[in-house]
Amino acid sequence: MNVLLAVPVLLPVLAAGSAMVLARFRLTSLLLGPVILLAVLGTAIALLVLADQHGPLVVQVGDWPVPIGITLVADRLSALLLVVSTVVTLAVLLFALGQRVTETRYRVFVPVFHPSYLLLVAGINLAFLAGDLFNLFVAIEMMLAASYVLITLDPTTVRVIAGMTYTVSSLTSSLLFLTAIGLVYAATGTVNLADLSAKLAALPVGLRAALALLLLVVFGIKAAMVPLHFWLPDSYPTAPAPITAVLAALLTKVGVYAMLRTQTLLFPRPDFWPLLLVLALATMAVGIMGAIAQDDINRMLSFILVSHIGFLLLGLALFNVAGLTGAILYMIHHITALAAMFLVSALIVWRAGTSAMREMGGLVRTDPGLAALFSLPAMSLAGLPPLSGFVAKFALLRASVDAAAVLTYTLAVAAVLTSLLTLYALGRAWSRIFWGEPRGASAGREAPDKLKARTWMSSPLLPGATAVLVASGVLVAVLAGPLTGLSQRAAADLANPQQYRSAVLGGERDGGP
Amino acid sequence: MLFLIAVHLALAAVVPLLVRRLGPRGLLGVALVPAITFGWALTQVPGLERGAIHQETLTWSAGLDLRFDFRLDALALLMLLLVSGVGAAVLAYSAYYLGGDAGRVGALLLVFAGAMAGLVTADHLVTLYVFWELTTVCSFLLIGEQGIKEQSRRAAIQAALVTMLGGLLMLLGFVLLGEAAGTYRLSEILAAPPHGGTVPAAAALILLGAFTKSAQLPFHPWLPAAMVAPTPVSAYLHAAAMVKAGVYLIARLTPGLADVPFWRPVALTVGLLTLIVAAWRALRETDLKKLLAYGTVSELGLLTALFGAATHTAALAGAVMLLAHGLFKATLFLVTGIVDHQAGSRDLRELSGVGQRLPALSAVAVLAAASMAGLPPFLGYLGKEATYEAFWHGDTPDHLVLVALAVGFVLTVAYSARFLWGAFAHKPGVAATKVTLPATGFVLPAGVLGVAGLLFGLWPHASNVLATPYADHYPSPVERYHLALWQGLTPTLVLSALVIVLGLVVYAGLDRITAVRQRLPALPDAERAFERTVRGVNQIAVGATRYTQAGSLPLYLTTILLVVLVGPGTMLLFGTTLASPAPPDLVAVQLPLAVLVLGAALGVLRARNRLSAVLMVGVVGYGVAGLFVVHGAPDLALTQFLVETLTLVVVVLVLRRMPVRFTPLERSWRLRWPRWIAALGVGLFVGTFAVTATAARTVPAVSREYADRSEEAGARNVVNAILVDFRALDTLGEISVLAVTAVGVASLVLVTRLSAIKPRRVRQHAAHNRRTEEDRR
Repeated sequence: MNVLLAVPVLLPVLAAGSAMVLARFRLTSLLLGPVILLAVLGTAIALLVLADQHGPLVVQVGDWPVPIGITLVADRLSALLLVVSTVVTLAVLLFALGQRVTETRYRVFVPVFHPSYLLLVAGINLAFLAGDLFNLFVAIEMMLAASYVLITLDPTTVRVIAGMTYTVSSLTSSLLFLTAIGLVYAATGTVNLADLSAKLAALPVGLRAALALLLLVVFGIKAAMVPLHFWLPDSYPTAPAPITAVLAALLTKVGVYAMLRTQTLLFPRPDFWPLLLVLALATMAVGIMGAIAQDDINRMLSFILVSHIGFLLLGLALFNVAGLTGAILYMIHHITALAAMFLVSALIVWRAGTSAMREMGGLVRTDPGLAALFSLPAMSLAGLPPLSGFVAKFALLRASVDAAAVLTYTLAVAAVLTSLLTLYALGRAWSRIFWGEPRGASAGREAPDKLKARTWMSSPLLPGATAVLVASGVLVAVLAGPLTGLSQRAAADLANPQQYRSAVLGGERDGGP
Repeated sequence: MLFLIAVHLALAAVVPLLVRRLGPRGLLGVALVPAITFGWALTQVPGLERGAIHQETLTWSAGLDLRFDFRLDALALLMLLLVSGVGAAVLAYSAYYLGGDAGRVGALLLVFAGAMAGLVTADHLVTLYVFWELTTVCSFLLIGEQGIKEQSRRAAIQAALVTMLGGLLMLLGFVLLGEAAGTYRLSEILAAPPHGGTVPAAAALILLGAFTKSAQLPFHPWLPAAMVAPTPVSAYLHAAAMVKAGVYLIARLTPGLADVPFWRPVALTVGLLTLIVAAWRALRETDLKKLLAYGTVSELGLLTALFGAATHTAALAGAVMLLAHGLFKATLFLVTGIVDHQAGSRDLRELSGVGQRLPALSAVAVLAAASMAGLPPFLGYLGKEATYEAFWHGDTPDHLVLVALAVGFVLTVAYSARFLWGAFAHKPGVAATKVTLPATGFVLPAGVLGVAGLLFGLWPHASNVLATPYADHYPSPVERYHLALWQGLTPTLVLSALVIVLGLVVYAGLDRITAVRQRLPALPDAERAFERTVRGVNQIAVGATRYTQAGSLPLYLTTILLVVLVGPGTMLLFGTTLASPAPPDLVAVQLPLAVLVLGAALGVLRARNRLSAVLMVGVVGYGVAGLFVVHGAPDLALTQFLVETLTLVVVVLVLRRMPVRFTPLERSWRLRWPRWIAALGVGLFVGTFAVTATAARTVPAVSREYADRSEEAGARNVVNAILVDFRALDTLGEISVLAVTAVGVASLVLVTRLSAIKPRRVRQHAAHNRRTEEDRR
């Protein structure tokens, strides 16, 4: 059964290669991605069921004993995120096909979109499954390299400039990551996560703390933690809409996932982490202030993204099962809600002919369907009940209150105020976009981002894919019961990594520190 | 309960279709839904007398203790009867009032009715919160209408912001309360209320939530502003139902939280202040709806005080006033709506002689206003008698409360009279308003609600049945108070009479009072405070973001590196014992190589010319490759040499298209020293860290195993074995990185319209970024 573990990585890689070769067969290259992603989705669900029932699934690539080879591990958290991310990548791919982003404006001699997108997916999936620090680096590199290409897809001046900010910042983070891996290896002589978990415990406290902080910075850049977030709002909003959606929803979450994995497995703590709590607070505050200051819808959403990374950091910083449960639930919520939101935003920009919200208006009368699609993820992001954002926020509030320290109470208040300001930003957006006199496209303006489809119906994939994502966000709320159970079990695995270690290292080497 | 709420929400989706098919009159059918709820609630009344309480539960997420629990006790039943009864009347009324927007408004009103039913019957803090926020969302969408008017948009956002601020703080209070009690079930919390610890904080937050929702001072301005909404919305949401949620919450929790030291004084003070200030304000309004809105704020203050007082009689009075207010205020709004609809104005300076033209309507209005003023034999009278009674027997503070209540009631009588005069009277000097006659069905709902106020007053037993079980949460006084029209010649009866007379005197002297008021200093304006807060938040947001989001990549990178120094750097410096850099196998060649590498690295920092910078980066690379050779890794060194050479060639080719020299760096030392610190500091940090980390190792590295097992992998070269066997997956990953990079380069370079990207504009943008950076300093 463990062969299944390789599928979410190898299948997209193979498909990416095939996409380069098969580019001239239009139908094949159109169908290839969705079919592959459906297969990955099936595998991911199977992995989730198996991991939930039998504990972590482990495969030693090449069958070398630990820690010689590379280990792939699917525990509950990995499998869960794999499922959620595949749903998002699939829906976004369908949207991209509908929007025909896949066909660039310029005649290019190589197919660009499909191979890059599939490698992006492969990288994301490998990041979730990697049981090896260096392999995690490779996974993130795959993901980033693909994203460099996708963010400058169909290049315009603005995109190239934004792409430069993005690429250089990401490369800096990669460089620091590589340094950190070197240092970890220097100190322990291994890069296998489970193996490290035992060996790092033997190091002096200060050295461990320095390594922990360095890895926090590395993943903090990717996750857009304040004050390492500056690159994000300057780069994401300019990319083609579906690319922004997938980058915003997933790439930052890979950073957070890596943080969750490394900090809990390698640097366990008995109590909450005050430093990270303060960073979480700063992230919430700076992010949401940025969102309020924006008039460009995509920039506003990017800042909201930064702000809500703070919620995830809060969950991690609490460092107990309740907090981690909250973080995992928030992750599931945020991936689906944010991706949906960015797709809706693409449709809005297309209909309004501009991304400046002050210049929009009256869409509730011209596009009531769009208003409905906007309102659900927006309310969910603001944490209004009974949507998924509320469930996750409630879990985090409970966890903060249970920790019963001045700092955690402060964070609970901050979380509540951030929700209010999110609501303010999105409510004002609603007012500017949907209320007032109809303007924009009906006034003869042309969309800046090319959506070639002329009407809604000429490409039912656009609203269709968006609706699928919006609906999956609602589904997250409906399934809050089972998802909470699953997240709690996953969080318990994180808080007590014994099972992870023994699954990877084998029974006889069990019993670390 | 669950079924009924689900029916509300599900049918709401059909309402727009129904209205499209049948026109606004289709809402008469929609009114059946709350009417059925009302009927069902009536069937539960006999059970209440027997002590049988209807309960339902649905688990949402057991792991988080998220549940939908419902429990139909006396208070819940009273509220349910009120919201469903008024809901049915308002929807029926809307069938005549609403025009083109009937589908949307009708649907939202139905959703709201369902949410309200859920809110008042909830027996779980989260269930209550879910419906609480749902009512806020309905309110937002109903006030904003289609958002065509700026005024509507502002009012909608204001209402939503204020109530959601309260709502979210309340949620935090709920979590604190639930965690302290170990349960989120209301009935369980009230059965064994938690004490001490975080409970006072929870109580304070919950009170804030209740005050914002029920428009208590100083959060009240949103409610008068919300009067831009269509009249059925004002009548239902902003008079009878939604704004009652706050006082309902106080009523619900006071039996459990009254022990919190500040609960009673705060509720009484805020409530009474609101009662008086808002009633005073109502005397000034010329828009009939705004007059009623301030009246609502004032009555909500009364209810806050009564429910917060935590005594048997006060609770009884509160429950009765709750019902009374719901009935008379909804009636008055509906009447105002009809006047507005038929006469085209609701400004009391313009209306004249409407009463003569619409005698039936004015009769209904008189019924309701009489109840509002507390005249016998209306329900309002029963409530006010009980209110006096609740504070008559107490000590000095109670008597102060009594005085405040009396003042509030005097003003209430005055604005009731002003409303009747304003809407219906003949005004000397004002031309009689042209009025078209309303349809009977249009007036009927208001009539039913108005008459209900009279019937409840004539038949106090009904109110006793509904209100006493709630009051029984508190120890009953020795002489148990029963609602009755005739209590004998009691002091409260005298007080009632006095208040009514004084009220009429105030009304008669209104002009003189107005003259006096204009000479008094103005009260602090809560509306302006709200606007100032919002503007302040916006300014802080813009200012802070302009400061942090400078748009300059060098600045961002400097920040990242400084964070590395501040975080891991200081931890390394102060948290560890740094090892001394003395590797035993120092080879003589290493030293010159190190000097070469360091020198070239420093040279890069000083370089002005692009080509020389690139060459010096190359020197660093070759030097490192040399170190590899010294350490006995020829494969690595070879790879490094090749990569360096290739990179140099490519970069030099690229440089041909770029200016020879870098854009001149800022001369300002203030801008440059952080970069120097970052560059040198991070270099030192990594070096020190590497030495310290290596010194800390106690176990053999995995590389030993690689050397031992490379035969097994079928390789004679350990590097090859690592690349193609031990860590083949990494290699595959890196190959795909290369592939996708190649694709990306192709997409950037091979596009047939290269001119799409103009280097000049890129430079301009960079220059712009620099300027912003300088501006910041």
